[in-house]
Amino acid sequence: MKELALSEDILMSVEKPERYIGHEFNSVVKDPDKVDVRFVMCFPDVYEIGMSHLGIQILYDMFNSFEDTWCERVYSPWPDLDKVMREKNIPLFGLESQEPVKNADFLGITIQYEMCYTNILQILDLSHIPFYSKDRTWDDPIVVGGGPCTYNPEPLADFFDFFYIGEGETRYREILDIYKEMRKKNASREEFLHAVATVPGMYVPSLMDVIYNEDGTVKEFRNHYPDMPKKVLKEIVRDLDNTYYPKKPVVPFIRVTQDRITLEIQRGCIRGCRFCQAGEIYRPVRERGVDYLLGMAETILKNTGHEEITLSSLSSSDYSHLDELLKGLIDMCNDKKVNIALPSLRIDQFSLDVMNKIQDVKKSSLTFAPEAGSQRMRDIINKGLTEEDIIEGSRMAFEGGWTKVKLYFMLGQPFEQEEDIRGIAELANLIAATFYDTVPKEKRVNGKVNITVSTSFFVPKPFTAFQWAAQDTPEAFIDKAEHTKHYIASQLNQKVIKYNWHEADVSMLEGVLARGDRKLSKLLLNVYKKGSIFDAWSEFFIYKNWLDAFEEEGIDPNFYTTRERSEDEIFPWDFLDCGVGKAFLLREWRNAKAGIVNPNCRDKCSNCGSARFDCGICINR
Amino acid sequence: MKVRIKFSKTGVIKFIGHLDLMRFFQKAFRRTDIKVRYSGGFSPHMIMSFAQALGVGVESKGEYFDVELEDGQDITDLVEELNRQMVEGIEVISYKVLPEKTTNAMASVAAASYEIDFYKGNPFSENTIEAYDAAPELLYTKTTKSGENTFNIKDSVFAIGYMDKGVSFTIDASSAGNIKPRYLLETLAGIEGIDLSKHPYHVMRMDLLLRKEDGTLAPLDDIDEQDSSSQA
Repeated sequence: MKELALSEDILMSVEKPERYIGHEFNSVVKDPDKVDVRFVMCFPDVYEIGMSHLGIQILYDMFNSFEDTWCERVYSPWPDLDKVMREKNIPLFGLESQEPVKNADFLGITIQYEMCYTNILQILDLSHIPFYSKDRTWDDPIVVGGGPCTYNPEPLADFFDFFYIGEGETRYREILDIYKEMRKKNASREEFLHAVATVPGMYVPSLMDVIYNEDGTVKEFRNHYPDMPKKVLKEIVRDLDNTYYPKKPVVPFIRVTQDRITLEIQRGCIRGCRFCQAGEIYRPVRERGVDYLLGMAETILKNTGHEEITLSSLSSSDYSHLDELLKGLIDMCNDKKVNIALPSLRIDQFSLDVMNKIQDVKKSSLTFAPEAGSQRMRDIINKGLTEEDIIEGSRMAFEGGWTKVKLYFMLGQPFEQEEDIRGIAELANLIAATFYDTVPKEKRVNGKVNITVSTSFFVPKPFTAFQWAAQDTPEAFIDKAEHTKHYIASQLNQKVIKYNWHEADVSMLEGVLARGDRKLSKLLLNVYKKGSIFDAWSEFFIYKNWLDAFEEEGIDPNFYTTRERSEDEIFPWDFLDCGVGKAFLLREWRNAKAGIVNPNCRDKCSNCGSARFDCGICINR
Repeated sequence: MKVRIKFSKTGVIKFIGHLDLMRFFQKAFRRTDIKVRYSGGFSPHMIMSFAQALGVGVESKGEYFDVELEDGQDITDLVEELNRQMVEGIEVISYKVLPEKTTNAMASVAAASYEIDFYKGNPFSENTIEAYDAAPELLYTKTTKSGENTFNIKDSVFAIGYMDKGVSFTIDASSAGNIKPRYLLETLAGIEGIDLSKHPYHVMRMDLLLRKEDGTLAPLDDIDEQDSSSQA
């Protein structure tokens, strides 16, 4: 049995010691003497969150399928352990080997949301790896980043040796081979990174300079070597039925956020909502076959013993064989007493029938995400959901016995007017009225309907039609939330409508980091040095640390948030190419201004640029 | 058929909590071809009950749970089949098919035996045990939420012995009268006039015991076995 990195005293003094001991069923332990490459894969948040992430499970499985590579996992130590590790100078360790992360060849960090950036610095710090790429030597692992936030990696550029842009299944083998060869011939770190920079999809920040204009915007990008691509094009898997998928995912001892099997049915989304980054960067839509998915489900159930399975995709209702897949799954799962957890499906007769079949009599709530309160606004954001869809869906649901409805909206989207905010309240009221019209008095469970309205604040993201848009200030956000509250309170059915809204401070910071540039690395380090970690957790988030750091570093957050960009501005992320072209996005930005709706990929191709990948819906509509 | 399974939980697995250990065994069964009986209702669960929760940080060589299996299956290889689904530190040792009306594992527990190893040398000697045996009564005061409770700890200790590295003992573990190993160790420390907190120790639960009709203590699976082949 492996010695643990933490002593018994420490483990007994922290919350959930199971987060740190490894040894889970299906975790992979290899003989270190028989592998050439040690890779540590990190999700920079607590174990329960990190263990729920499918992307890491896929890459863990892929790396460990390579005979010459041992991939381990590491997650952010919770603040209780973080404190002990600092006091006692204990280096961060991989869960499988319990050996220091610093001894690995690679440290891969998935970057899923902006508010985990300080946790990335925590990981480096606790691992005793220098923060800045330029200060690292061969005594340190190569630090590589991946995940959605790498579509604008610039605020983190100085901290990473390279970024892998796009889907991880395609190029790591090649990179490991380059690594082995370069180490064998005693190449320098820069020589290795230069070689990486010529591999498609790889971005090496230290080998590209950014020249700024006087006003702080980007003037140009300059590569250090002529053999580097002018633009780094994202990597994608063209055939999702012929690639890595974790048949034996690690089964955690403790209950994690996704304590179930995740079956990824497709990648990409046909919809093209103008606020949505995922809808653009994962294009084109590629589906997995029903036979492949059912076979995978059966194998993974057998290998994990999980009691629940869920489908994963950006819009499961758009999966073209959903009916057939669910029929197959229901048959399989009834047999094995496995529960099916449905992702939010578009509410229609089909989805209600399915839910009736698989959910118990306690009807859970139904979810609609209109994202905007008025049709005018939904046209601006290209959300193809009409008031009629929502009311008709609600009516069917109420007839089927559901009484709880959740509604999600965004405040602060471009061109928003007072009437659009009022529309949120009016739509909620109309749904309540539909309940009373549909369900006769004697059939009403507990007598009434429950409607929950939640609003979040809109944060413009790179590679969306709204990347040019101005973001509201936190004050404007709160003002809009107050208005929403007021309008809801003045509705006839206000008593059955509950309203929640998010914090505005975090939205502002997300906005800064989402469209930020390299000048922000010193801000991040400053905030981290003030003691900020786990910013995504409200109990640990300290807004003042951020405000003070802006002040001390002379950085104006409004430059990144409230400024509407001109159409010809060069963005910090413009050296990347996600497949969807800037010309298409600009067209969409103008369509939004004019309130013109754009059809989805299945109805009509809009020439976004993704067809160059020659796969998925682009060739098989 | 109802089966009582004996297993050990040692090494780093001692940090796994009781509820998580139960979940671990449920998932392990689902990975095998053994057919477990489920409760009825809308969220069916395996009919499984553990004899006694083991505290986080404590190791054990004798833990038990009862589980109901579907009749008519061959379970000759049950131990091997389950052990293929275990992780390092959890090992299934044996199983017994229980007669129809056996008291469930939890209600059967009368006592637990322990071995205590002191990391930095044994603060006790054979004289400590002799002094313990010679005392007519030894009062121990336990502080609970509802106040203090003083009792003669000797009533709850069924056996005690000296070992090179520490002590071994068998104490009451029944739901009505169970005491913690620490109570006895503090009592022994009192006899020696030492501060127990200065002597870090390791607890190994050796076994859980039931009381037989003749009054003697025996391992929790010391039950006349139902012939499983007659059901197969």
